[in-house]
Amino acid sequence: MRRSPILTLVYGLVFAVGLLTASSVAVSQRVPSAARAVPSTSPPPSPSPSPSPPPLAKVNAVWAGEVDGGGASLAISVKDGVAVAYLCDGKKTEIWLRGTAANGQLSLVSKKGEILTGTFGGGKASGKITGSGKSFSFTIATAEPPSGLYRSTENVRNAQVVCGWIRLANGRTVGICDNAGTPAAAPPLDTSRVNPINPGSPDLT
Amino acid sequence: MTLRLLWLPLLLGAAVSLTLGVYANLHSPTGIAVSVAGFSGPQPAKAWLATICLLGVIIQLISAFIMYGESAPSWIPALHRWSGRVAFLVAIPVAIHCLFALGFSSFDFRTVMHSLLGCFVFGVFTVKMLALPKHGLAGWVLPLLGGFVFTAFVGLWLTSSLWYFTTFGVHA
Repeated sequence: MRRSPILTLVYGLVFAVGLLTASSVAVSQRVPSAARAVPSTSPPPSPSPSPSPPPLAKVNAVWAGEVDGGGASLAISVKDGVAVAYLCDGKKTEIWLRGTAANGQLSLVSKKGEILTGTFGGGKASGKITGSGKSFSFTIATAEPPSGLYRSTENVRNAQVVCGWIRLANGRTVGICDNAGTPAAAPPLDTSRVNPINPGSPDLT
Repeated sequence: MTLRLLWLPLLLGAAVSLTLGVYANLHSPTGIAVSVAGFSGPQPAKAWLATICLLGVIIQLISAFIMYGESAPSWIPALHRWSGRVAFLVAIPVAIHCLFALGFSSFDFRTVMHSLLGCFVFGVFTVKMLALPKHGLAGWVLPLLGGFVFTAFVGLWLTSSLWYFTTFGVHA
C-alpha cells in the first residue's frame, strides 16, 4: 500500500514514454506527406550526417489570394505552426485572426469571435470565415515574397494605428489602417519600411 | 522534519517540471501525434479527455475534504485513490499531444498560462505522490500539494477545453 503512489508515477511514466514512442513512429511514417504539405518557403532539407530520422519541419507558410466572389483579399501567414490571418477589402472591412496551422488543419479566431477553419496542403489553403455578419469562403495559393501579409503598428498622437496590407501575386495590394477603432484605407505599401508579418510576435492584436 | 522528508520529492518534482518545459521548448512541434479513436480530431479528443480529468480532480477535492472530516465512509479513500489514478491516466495522452505536437507556446496569455501550468502540474503531482508514503509530515503538506494539483488542473482545463468548447462548439 505504501508503494502504490510511486507505482502510479511509474505506470504514468511508462504510459507517457509509450505514447511518445508511438508518436515518433507515427511522425516518421508521415514525413513524406507532411513534407509535401509544407510549401517552398521552408529551406530544403539538408542531408544529415546522423542516422536519426530527419526532424519533421514545423509548418511555415504564407498563402494569399482573394476570397470567393472577390469581395476581399485574405492572407494567412504561419511560423512554426502559429498562424495569423488577415481579411481586408481595402475600404473598411478587416478581420485579424490568430490560431494554429497543424496536421493540415487551420483553426483561427478573431478578437470579436469570427472563426476561420480550413485545410492546407499542396500549395494552397482553403476554408471559410464565419461568425461576423458576412461569411467568406476561400481557396488561396502559396504566396512568394514580396507577396504576402504585412503589418505595421505605430503610435500617432497617443493613439495606436495598426495597418495591415495584403500583396497578391499579381502585385495588387489592399490595406487598411485602424486608428483607435476607425478603419480607413491604408497608404500605399512601402516594403522598404514595412516588414512581412511575424506570426510569433506578441504584439498582435 | 518536514523539509528533511520532502527535499527529495521536491527535487524530483522540480526535475519533472523542468524536463517538460525544456523538452516542450527544444522539440520541434510536429503538429501530429498518436490520437484517440472516436473523435473528429485531436483537439476535441483532448478537450473531452481533459474534461474527464477535471471531473476526476473535482472528485479528488471533495473526497479529500471528506477524508479530513470526522466520520469518513470507509469507501472514500478508495474513491480518492481511483479517481486520482483515472484523472492522471487520461491527462497523460493530452499532455503528450501538447508536448509532442504543439510544444511550449507563448503567443498569447492563454497559451503561456497553459504551457506553464502544464509543466507545473506534473512536477507538483510527482511531489504529492512521493510525499504520500512519508510518515511524520506536517499536517498542511498534503492538502497544500493537493491544492496545487487541483488548482493547476482547473487552470489547465479553463485555458484549453473551456476555450475550445466556447470557441469551436461542444462536439466530439
